Amino acid sequence: MAVPVSQAWTVASYVLTQKLKGRKRYPLVLMLEPLFRCNLACAGCGKIQYPAHILKAELTPEECFRAVEECGAPMVSIPGGEPLLHPKMPEIVAGLVARKKYVYMCTNALLLKEKLHLFKPSKYLSFSVHVDGEREHHDFSVCREGGYDLAMEGIRAAVAAGFRVTTNTTLFDGADPNSVRRHFDQLMAAGVESMMVSPGYTYDKAPDQNHFLGKAKSRRLFRAILSNRKKSWEFNTHPLFSEFLMGKRNFECTPWGMPTFSIFGWQKPCYLLQDGYADTFQELMETTNWENYGAKSGNPQCANCMVHSGHEASAVDYAFSSLGGFIETAKKFMLKPLYPDADAQKLLNEWKPTAHTNPLVQIQGSSSDELQPVSGD
Amino acid sequence: MATEQQEHLKIEQLRQHNADELETIAGREKENLEGWIPALATDAEIREALEKAFDYRGDVTITRKDGSKVEGYLFDRRSGTSLEDSSVRVIPINDRNKINISYADIAALAFTGRDNAAGKTFEAWVKKYWEKKAAGEKNIQIEPEKLD
Repeated sequence: MAVPVSQAWTVASYVLTQKLKGRKRYPLVLMLEPLFRCNLACAGCGKIQYPAHILKAELTPEECFRAVEECGAPMVSIPGGEPLLHPKMPEIVAGLVARKKYVYMCTNALLLKEKLHLFKPSKYLSFSVHVDGEREHHDFSVCREGGYDLAMEGIRAAVAAGFRVTTNTTLFDGADPNSVRRHFDQLMAAGVESMMVSPGYTYDKAPDQNHFLGKAKSRRLFRAILSNRKKSWEFNTHPLFSEFLMGKRNFECTPWGMPTFSIFGWQKPCYLLQDGYADTFQELMETTNWENYGAKSGNPQCANCMVHSGHEASAVDYAFSSLGGFIETAKKFMLKPLYPDADAQKLLNEWKPTAHTNPLVQIQGSSSDELQPVSGD
Repeated sequence: MATEQQEHLKIEQLRQHNADELETIAGREKENLEGWIPALATDAEIREALEKAFDYRGDVTITRKDGSKVEGYLFDRRSGTSLEDSSVRVIPINDRNKINISYADIAALAFTGRDNAAGKTFEAWVKKYWEKKAAGEKNIQIEPEKLD
């Protein structure tokens, strides 16, 4: 089972309650960013390019708890930055668990093994380890050889210690679906509970501006990856979101589904775009011009987005918007279709992997002779 | 939030193609704003400069009309109908408390801090990576920058 029954029940009852209350806009997952500093500088990340005094700043545990209570979402995802660099992360996680929030602590796992003893296994806590593919691909993506081995070591240690462990894989142009499928096998063999995969967002601050997948290629890539699934694969994404990625259905964005809170406040409109900040969750909901965002709005920064943070909440909302949607979703959850598809198999067979030629790290200054780092801890 | 000028590659691409048909989508053209001191003679110039400062990933220095200066990270702007009801919010370099400054109080703006998103010469890194790899080097990586 990709998600514990208690979590599925909690989320389902929460969404149903929102529907019965007639709430058109409700949060599903709080994206809590307690810091921006990171111990990696990934090519496709646009989250960490800040001055040193901003990278040193952190949310206090109290600020985190206040945001969680204000927002009311049943799930909390803790991205960053690298959350394990926050000295009070164990206290923050323990406080969220005590509040019975289902927590996904996102991490590159470089520090997971050494900090594992600071956390307690719980059905409410999952380490969501970011692994972008097989060894060479992941290491190249994070600009650090040995990154993959450390991440997998962290995964195994966490699994052995009884923690829930999920993974998060982000794909860019150049991804090889055959390699991604092998990667899934490796992750399941390492004992992860379930996996998530999503196309990268076109962050305008990301070092690499030349390898963002367009929608057509995204759909082809995900059709190749997610069709003809193996029974052993478990995903922790909504089944209809994976159909959206495969081009089998369309969803509009639900930017308020995964609101983001950081040292700046509540981010307008979503986890990916920065169009200003609100001081309270209520202010975020009331003052954001939601009609200006999402693919159908015509906003060029949303035109290409297929990221889970905007579209998975749409899938969840669809499931609870009609009896038909609910039955359809329930069937997919229970029967776990493998999506047999001869054309997708042909795509896989004929896919030509491209060698890594994409630039994957930010180099400061004008000299091409000196490699300089971009982020710090 | 990028301006239309900064996103012109994507906008142009989307004018000519439906987003659903794109194989890859254009990224953003980097604008070199580091060290820039914009003219703030007209309301339009003030608004445009502050919009760019909001998008800038480095510190700026704002001089108020009373002569006082604030140096820090401009993380938010709230644009109203007039300069009086528009404001920017800044986290100063040595203080985490957010400062609110009305557009109408701003005499000068300078992009004084390093642009932390101004990476370039990516190809140079990739080339170096493969050169080091071919030379048999191990643990090729970018060390995180020290913040102190």
